Amino acid sequence: MNQARSRGAVGPDAADLFWKVLSLTLLLLGAAVMLLPFLWMLLSSFKTPVEIIRTPPTFWPENPTLAAFSTVLTRAPFFTWMRNSLVVAVAVTALVLFTSSLTGYIFAKFDFPGKQALFVLVLVTMMVPFQVVMIPTYLIVARLHLLNTLWALIIPSAVSAFGVYLCKQFIEGIPTDLIEAARIDGAGELRIFLTIIIPLIRPTLAALGIFTFMASWNNYLWPLIAINDEHKMTIPLALAYFTTSHHGARWDLVMAATTLMVIPVIIVFLFFQREFIRGLALTGLKG
Amino acid sequence: MTSWKRWLRPANRSRALFVAGALTPVMLLFFVFFILPITASVVLAFYRYSPLDPDSPFIGVRNFLNLVSDPVFRKAVRNTFYFVLAAVPVNLLITLPIAIGLDGVRRRWLRDSLRAVYFLPTVAPIVAAAVIWAYLYQPVNGLLNAFIGHLGIPRILWLTSAKWAMPSVIVMSLWQDIGYNIVIFLAGLEAIPSVFYEAAKIDGAGRWHLFRNITFPLLSRTSSFVLVMTMISYLQVFAQMQVMTNGGPHDSTRVLALFIYDSAFRYNQMGYASAAAVILLGVTLLLTLLALWLTRRMSQWEY
Repeated sequence: MNQARSRGAVGPDAADLFWKVLSLTLLLLGAAVMLLPFLWMLLSSFKTPVEIIRTPPTFWPENPTLAAFSTVLTRAPFFTWMRNSLVVAVAVTALVLFTSSLTGYIFAKFDFPGKQALFVLVLVTMMVPFQVVMIPTYLIVARLHLLNTLWALIIPSAVSAFGVYLCKQFIEGIPTDLIEAARIDGAGELRIFLTIIIPLIRPTLAALGIFTFMASWNNYLWPLIAINDEHKMTIPLALAYFTTSHHGARWDLVMAATTLMVIPVIIVFLFFQREFIRGLALTGLKG
Repeated sequence: MTSWKRWLRPANRSRALFVAGALTPVMLLFFVFFILPITASVVLAFYRYSPLDPDSPFIGVRNFLNLVSDPVFRKAVRNTFYFVLAAVPVNLLITLPIAIGLDGVRRRWLRDSLRAVYFLPTVAPIVAAAVIWAYLYQPVNGLLNAFIGHLGIPRILWLTSAKWAMPSVIVMSLWQDIGYNIVIFLAGLEAIPSVFYEAAKIDGAGRWHLFRNITFPLLSRTSSFVLVMTMISYLQVFAQMQVMTNGGPHDSTRVLALFIYDSAFRYNQMGYASAAAVILLGVTLLLTLLALWLTRRMSQWEY
């Protein structure tokens, strides 16, 4: 992201001002549209069971109440789901960061027979849609007796082709002399990796880590397949399960649960916004 | 190319040990959870396989033939193309102008906050987004029908009529993920050197000319990347359909990914589902090749 540029070399005239005002108005209008569903979610979660079924609906809650939140938190195993999601996301992120940086380092700075073939093999897996691998993955995980455990959500996600590729790209930019010098000083291979390579690619790892965490936190299709025990569910799975099974019954509860699920992600995003967007722009990564 | 012999020399032994020790577990995971499933998927496509049935015979291309004559599969393919062909162009037509607009915002804080707002839905879990929109689309006390009711327009059955369900899901999907493309376009725009614009302005070029002759060609690499990545990701659309409509009404939102999921995990026809997955893989690979070809072609515009 570079500094503000001056494009008005000719100087502002009436047409320029018109366009500027018009585009800003449209941008603000669009932003309002983007925020409205979140606002509606938030407002609905504060409504009473009576108010939520009123037709036409009220916009602002008349008697704002936290009842829906307390019902969700006490009647449903919400904290269990939260913990499951957190355990899985933290474990997957830690594993992906470790395996990606290590493998990326090896592919970038070591030479060994069969390296090209292995790297191509890793890259090929990157473009394959999950729907293509989900059936055999399910059968394999079933054979390993991991269905309905959090391991089923962690182990298959412990490696990431994209992560390996990303780390390799960045580690290739590190001068090899640095590594050689450390070797001459008698540093072991693992120590070189941990004390020289890792600190140098920290920004890359930050971006990769945030993406991995978010992807894991938001993942739906694989948990849907691998988990059906209510107490092993992650939050997205539980939300979809309870919304679709108790169809349309209690929107105040559903919106409260949704709010509880969305707020942490939004906070994390606002906190790491810079890394997030830089990482995305840098790599062109798509969700 | 290095030889095995050189690697076994004592001087290199610690390095070889490191490579082998680190790579073995990682490659094992890649093999078990990526390479093996991809292969198995292609193999399964030629078998009649159900986990409930002990007998799973090789049936050649029968699964593919059955797919082609299965009206639900044909509907799913049509719906997937409907989704991709409608949502991708609209996505680009929305995201590029928004990115250009954001690029023109001088105030740093305003530009960054607006970008964050547009990006916000992409970080929310897609299930949450689908649930919120299912509520917005409620026929009787949903916000959308209340709003158009104020304008005197009769209620629309957003998710429960075959005509409106797909457009409604498309609108939700666009809201959910235009943030990605806006950020990528914006990064592409910010990379265009401003001297080009200044020079053209001195020559008296108008707004449209600046876009047509500078922005558009210099952004073509970004655009082709965005186009293909969006197509690939939309081909795999799943969660919003599964949560909001579950493919209905009358299969009007049953897309390929949902067809594969239901065939495999609701009806236990895993061979049949794998055949459909192989078709999805084929289309995705074609698009990937297109992406490679496009980026190579577009690199002539490098500046």
